[in-house]
Amino acid sequence: MKRAGIIMIIGSSMLLGLFVFPMWNIRLGAPQYPEPLGIDIHVNGLKGESEFDIQNIDGLNHYIGMKTLPKPDDMWEFSVFPKVVWLMAGLGILIGILGLMGKISPILFLVWFVMMSILGALGIYDFNLWLVDYGTDLDPNAILKLVNPDGTPMQYNPPLLGHKKLLNFDAFSYPRTGGILLGLGMLLSLVSFFLGRKARLVSKS
Amino acid sequence: MKDKILNSLTLLVLSALIWSCTPQKEGDSSSEASTGTDSHPMGQASVVDDVSDPNILQVAISSEPHSTLVAAVQAAQIEHVLVNAGPLTVFAPVNEAFDALPEGTLDNLLKPENKGDLATIITRHAAPGSFDLNALKREAEKGRKIYMATGDYLEVTVDGDNVSIGGAKIVGTVAASNGIIHVIEKVILP
Amino acid sequence: MKTNIIKNILFISALAFLFSCGQAGDRGGNGALSSNIAEKVYVAPGERDEQYAFLSGGYSGNLTVYGLPSGRLFKEIPVFSQFPTSGYGYSEETKPMLNTSFGFIPWDDLHHPDISQTNGELDGRWIFANGNNTPRIARISLTTFETEEIIEVPNSAGNHSSSFITENTEYVVAGTRFSVPVPQKDMPISEYKANFKGALTFIAVDQEHGHMDIKFQLLMPGFNYDLSHPGRGKSHGWFFFSTYNTEEANSLLEVNASQNDKDFIAAINWKKIEEYVNNGGGTKMPAKFAHNVYDESTHTATSTMKNEVLTVNPVDVPGAIYFLPTPKSPHGCDVDPNGEYIIGSGKLSANITVHSFDKMLAAIDAEKFDGDAYGIPILNYDDVLAGSVQSGGLGPLHTEFDGKGNAYTTFFISSEVVKWKLGTWEVVDRKPTYYSVGHLMIPGGNSRKPHGKYLVAMNKITKDRYLPTGPEMEHSAQIYDISGEKMELLYDFPTHGEPHYAAGCDAELLVNNSKKIYRIDENNHPYAIKSPAEARVERDGKEVHIYMSTIRSHFTPDNIEGIKVGDKVYFHITNHEQDFDVPHGFSMIGQRTSEILVMPGQTKTSLWEPERVGVWPFYCTDFCSALHQEMQGYIRVSPANSNIELSYTLDGDDI
Repeated sequence: MKRAGIIMIIGSSMLLGLFVFPMWNIRLGAPQYPEPLGIDIHVNGLKGESEFDIQNIDGLNHYIGMKTLPKPDDMWEFSVFPKVVWLMAGLGILIGILGLMGKISPILFLVWFVMMSILGALGIYDFNLWLVDYGTDLDPNAILKLVNPDGTPMQYNPPLLGHKKLLNFDAFSYPRTGGILLGLGMLLSLVSFFLGRKARLVSKS
Repeated sequence: MKDKILNSLTLLVLSALIWSCTPQKEGDSSSEASTGTDSHPMGQASVVDDVSDPNILQVAISSEPHSTLVAAVQAAQIEHVLVNAGPLTVFAPVNEAFDALPEGTLDNLLKPENKGDLATIITRHAAPGSFDLNALKREAEKGRKIYMATGDYLEVTVDGDNVSIGGAKIVGTVAASNGIIHVIEKVILP
Repeated sequence: MKTNIIKNILFISALAFLFSCGQAGDRGGNGALSSNIAEKVYVAPGERDEQYAFLSGGYSGNLTVYGLPSGRLFKEIPVFSQFPTSGYGYSEETKPMLNTSFGFIPWDDLHHPDISQTNGELDGRWIFANGNNTPRIARISLTTFETEEIIEVPNSAGNHSSSFITENTEYVVAGTRFSVPVPQKDMPISEYKANFKGALTFIAVDQEHGHMDIKFQLLMPGFNYDLSHPGRGKSHGWFFFSTYNTEEANSLLEVNASQNDKDFIAAINWKKIEEYVNNGGGTKMPAKFAHNVYDESTHTATSTMKNEVLTVNPVDVPGAIYFLPTPKSPHGCDVDPNGEYIIGSGKLSANITVHSFDKMLAAIDAEKFDGDAYGIPILNYDDVLAGSVQSGGLGPLHTEFDGKGNAYTTFFISSEVVKWKLGTWEVVDRKPTYYSVGHLMIPGGNSRKPHGKYLVAMNKITKDRYLPTGPEMEHSAQIYDISGEKMELLYDFPTHGEPHYAAGCDAELLVNNSKKIYRIDENNHPYAIKSPAEARVERDGKEVHIYMSTIRSHFTPDNIEGIKVGDKVYFHITNHEQDFDVPHGFSMIGQRTSEILVMPGQTKTSLWEPERVGVWPFYCTDFCSALHQEMQGYIRVSPANSNIELSYTLDGDDI
């Protein structure tokens, strides 16, 4: 149980990496951009991968009538998400310590994992909603109004995960260090649950 | 052992490939860039231009009394020097001047192995700078010698209307686009 | 074993592919492919060259940037000439760059670029170049590839033995070609001899910013000073100048300056003179000259007129200057990478003269002199001679080095490059050039560490090398591969203007320092606006200042009214892009100046003096974006007495 507690503490501490590293990244490459433009999605806002990437993406997007990329104040997520992360990390560390002291059942680790998974899924759902909104809610007076072969207006939402071709741009969407740390942290909470349960069974028998 | 055989095989195949693909060409003067050192690059002398005023080489070539000189220039492979922007003053011995050389001298010089010596003798007849007859007379008057392309200095002497360079009398003068040709009656030897 | 077989098979098939008669097709079979020459200069699409080459533009007044080995032209950098392509010399910010003591001069003759060095090796900070006609030295930044500074050189005329630098860029030197009366005065030309002076100017370079300041001028005898090069390594502290017309003729120089069997290479111990000057030596003399500096943060040049220069009389600094007799009007005066050999190319000579630095010092120590010229000791030719290259060519001009013990000399009259060995003086190889080569360039070939892979020969005569373009043709350059024992001609390429000289370096030295954009938050131009929201129009009497913004794909503002005939309208255009390679241009109908090209983050000003009533358009001259053709605007010009209020809008709204 001791080991499980330590792993739980480590795992939930990894969430704090989200305050240092970007969670997700969207990169746009095109022949005229041999160094692709990139957006790093942090838990508390968006940042250009290079200093002027956000400005340049907005500059390009205005042709197809996309809204400018949101500032931290423009989206409630950027103020709420950090609080949720602090809360969950604190909670995880707390139950880890309690587990270390043998005061709680390892089932709480699993509960933390499940809560985290639900929150994560909600987060991704929300992220996708934003992507779709961003890519489809276009200015009716846009300079370029493109349609698909079937006549429907073309949509420009970048992929949730993986690669997508947007006009002459190749869009890539992948988790970055913060997101990976988050995943690893959750995995570790699961590990600590199994280890804790095994320890319990051994000590009981 | 096996490796060696394989390597030799590779080489063979390679050579075959290279040979089979090397373009065969004869008499293509534009190939000097790739065919290397043994060809005789004509350089600027190969430029085809029948509109501009003729240069020293072209004047010499079209002049029957200088066929020996032209042959010597070609044997020495210094055609491109005579078409250079110059300005040059060339003292051009007539055929008789070459004939007057000791028996066998010219034939000997025209041999490929004596190319260098021949080139030196010919370039000794060229001066960087443009000296018409008046200029030559002025040099003589001021007691100045003419610096030749080989680094030698030749003296100009004036005797009445006759002007001589290095002891060879000038018997005619032709203007060329890149300088002046003075026809002389003697080969100037060191 | 097995891998070997596989390797061999791979090798064979790869080669079979290469040799499967690629040249049978569209190339017209020039034989180049068969010896792999084409491969050596072929830089595939998207790939980049190995080296930079900076070729002087001669009478274009500009510097051109090429890639090696492809010979592709990357940029023409305006230096001494107005350049409508970018607005250099036309924009209000850059007009001061071309100011001189004679007033604004739109042109010069740029001759000898030289890249800055540290410890005798290229450091890629700046490149210096000389203006030959109205003597000036320019410094060009190698991060922005723009001219940053121009200093005029007083008491000089035909600034030819310039702009070479010492091995730590302590000084850039400027030697006069024409000797002239110093100071200038009204006197008979025939009294030239013994009265005219040849000024050799040492310009100190500030190591942090590169700013130039004349430290001293050496007033030498009235010869012609042709070229110069610094000592390096053990000869650091010395500078060598070739001279001709030691006859001091003032007319028909082609004859009269070719009388002396030997002219001189002047060896100058500048460290000694520097010390003399630092201790208060020298004479201050009134002299008017312009010093023009471009500030990258304000994007603006200022011109300051200076009034005084410090001169040094050579005989006042004994032991600092000696003459080395050198045959036949030497042109090139080149120092080998070790600093031991000083190579004089007598341009009317058949041979190349090599002096030894050690022998020179020994002769000076032994005080073995062969008389003097105006009080400057002349050393014995034989005492300083290291050797002489019996080249077999005619008209040697310029020598550079490959760093492997070989030297390469151009011969103008015999139209060839001759490779020879330092120390043994034997000729190793010779290759014709097409035609009549002037100077040559090996990247780093004028430093302690040459990058001896390619050699560029700059030819003076083109004739039939390219498709004809009427009587006037570009000059031609040739690239040789010098990595092997024998030189190999790789490629011909036309060059712009007349390249007299060139400098080159490895690409790595510059690529990572090359600027992509100017930061808008570091733009300190007095008329810059930090965002399009600050755009405005202000009237001050007859002067109107338009603070205009450009960003894809519109001007802010783009409709302006209230301008009157007789106004002086200044367009201060700030490009708010912060994206690499997105310039915007500006031009106004009927404007009697050039367009301007504004880089991202930069501000430039264009002056327009409207003369006719009407509504006049302006537009972006650079194809900036898909909607470039929409990037335009109108200005309403009313009669001088009109009372139309000044107004400016974008999309019908005030800004």
